[in-house]
Amino acid sequence: MTERYVGRNVYKVDAQDKVMGKAKYPDDIYFDNMLYLKIKRATHPHAHLRRIDISKAVKLPGVVKIITADDIPQVKNFGLIIKDQPVLVGIGQKMRYMGDALAIVIAETKEIASKAVRLIEVEVEELEVISDPLRAMEKDAPLIHKDGNILATHYLEKGDIKKGFAEANVIVENEYRTTFLDQVPLQVEAGVGIYDEESGFIKLWVASQWLHDTQADVAQSLGFPKEKIRIIQPVIGGAFGKKEDISVHIHLALAAIATKRPVKLTYTREESMIAQSKRHPFIIRVKTGATKEGYLTAWQAEVIGDTGAYASSGPAVVHKGMYHCTGPYNVDNVKGVAYTVYTNNTYAGAMRGFGTTQMAFAYESQMDILAHKLGIDPAQFRLQNAYNIGSSTPNGQILTHSVGVKETIKKAAEIAGWKGGLR
Amino acid sequence: MSKLTIGFIINGQKKTIETTTSTRLLDLIRDDLHLTGTKEGCGKGECGACTVIMNGELVASCLILATQSDGAVITTIEGIGDNECLDPVQEAFIETGAVQCGFCTPGMILAAKKMLEENPHPDEEEIKRGISGNLCRCTGYQKIIDAIKLAANRLSSKNGGRSEKDD
Repeated sequence: MTERYVGRNVYKVDAQDKVMGKAKYPDDIYFDNMLYLKIKRATHPHAHLRRIDISKAVKLPGVVKIITADDIPQVKNFGLIIKDQPVLVGIGQKMRYMGDALAIVIAETKEIASKAVRLIEVEVEELEVISDPLRAMEKDAPLIHKDGNILATHYLEKGDIKKGFAEANVIVENEYRTTFLDQVPLQVEAGVGIYDEESGFIKLWVASQWLHDTQADVAQSLGFPKEKIRIIQPVIGGAFGKKEDISVHIHLALAAIATKRPVKLTYTREESMIAQSKRHPFIIRVKTGATKEGYLTAWQAEVIGDTGAYASSGPAVVHKGMYHCTGPYNVDNVKGVAYTVYTNNTYAGAMRGFGTTQMAFAYESQMDILAHKLGIDPAQFRLQNAYNIGSSTPNGQILTHSVGVKETIKKAAEIAGWKGGLR
Repeated sequence: MSKLTIGFIINGQKKTIETTTSTRLLDLIRDDLHLTGTKEGCGKGECGACTVIMNGELVASCLILATQSDGAVITTIEGIGDNECLDPVQEAFIETGAVQCGFCTPGMILAAKKMLEENPHPDEEEIKRGISGNLCRCTGYQKIIDAIKLAANRLSSKNGGRSEKDD
């Protein structure tokens, strides 16, 4: 084993298929007699659906079927952590962002399906659109979900924050904001579905990051036993967190059951941008204290994460961000609070770093500003505060191995040609 | 959306096919010919995943109507190398680890091949310009650049030695 792999360059097992264009991604799968789906999406970011009229669309030649919420009363909400996301928004229910699905159009070609989507007429009762999480947190803000706009609150406490600030000679307090980011995997959400009436199996060829969670969620939503849902993983054209959430899966399953024919659904890039998860925008309020010798004494953080219209991985992402509020630096006294907040923006979920990337902007900025105020070389300031073996993180984890931050700082300074000094 | 019949040569094979005036070349290649190595990443000519070579030029097949390919000579990734003998550019992509998710790879390889045909000894800046129409979200591009350098060196040594620009 050692001789074959460790210390050797090993070619990627599927590289040859990929350089030849033979690797099969979800949209590359074709079946005879296959139908194409397009989704009618929300017409307003926050509104009650009052009427949906499919009569013109369904008459278009080539349209096989249009499914609305009325057709699927048994189908339940889905979601990675909280089941708060509807498969289709029904009459009297709310659309909460522009990606909410109102109808599944099934047609003989993609063109006909797209045309039929445009023929669906919708009437809505508009509600206040909440695009700012700070507005969502106000007492008089309309509720996006019935249990309140603050989906989750997490707290963090280590040491004695009062004592920490009392020991500080310099205190720096700032607010940092990060923006939405799309993961932009080069391959958009796509899949093919088949329902085998005889065996009762639903087969879905969809690129997914959590195969078994997705299988369980699809099953509970449809009311099928888990073993009847088969998710077959084609080659994934990038994901970066964006393919952790359900996208085409349940719509494909419903269309396959309704038509008994193979069905394909491929998002456009615009649809992927509007309907599928993002990196959370954070508002990070930080107060940091240090002694005049340049040692951190206290770190207080308030994190507000905009999770958009649905929870997705939000509660996990935002509080993980808070746990990383001090970055790789030793601080004995830490206090934090993290709010995961619903808005009418596109929902935010997993993206590389899972909350920690946003925090880096805040803590590294704090370190630079403190170093400047203290008159200490910023590389040296980082080195003298950086984690060692035996350091404890804000949530109390003792680091017992693989702590390379000091070497990393030294190496980075060397490669950058950093001569020390102040900036 | 009237139908009409067009003819072209794709990967060395003559084809006659019925299409519509609103079908994109990309859809014709994928949905009708099932040459699925040509990918759609954006549908806007931004990402380069749908790159093919048409009449000697690199084109984004999502921006070309199928009818515009009447009489054309087209090469897709399926027309490069074969199981027994990969193209040197394909080999170099495998060997340098330039392939991750692989979705950009077909377009990237066609762009690299076209560049090396025009400029067999590109320097790093020229390589970057040569693949500037092709987005990759996995690699950070460095290994793709390494792959193209490796392919250029091998091709030029095959054709009589390295050039001064090689590094």
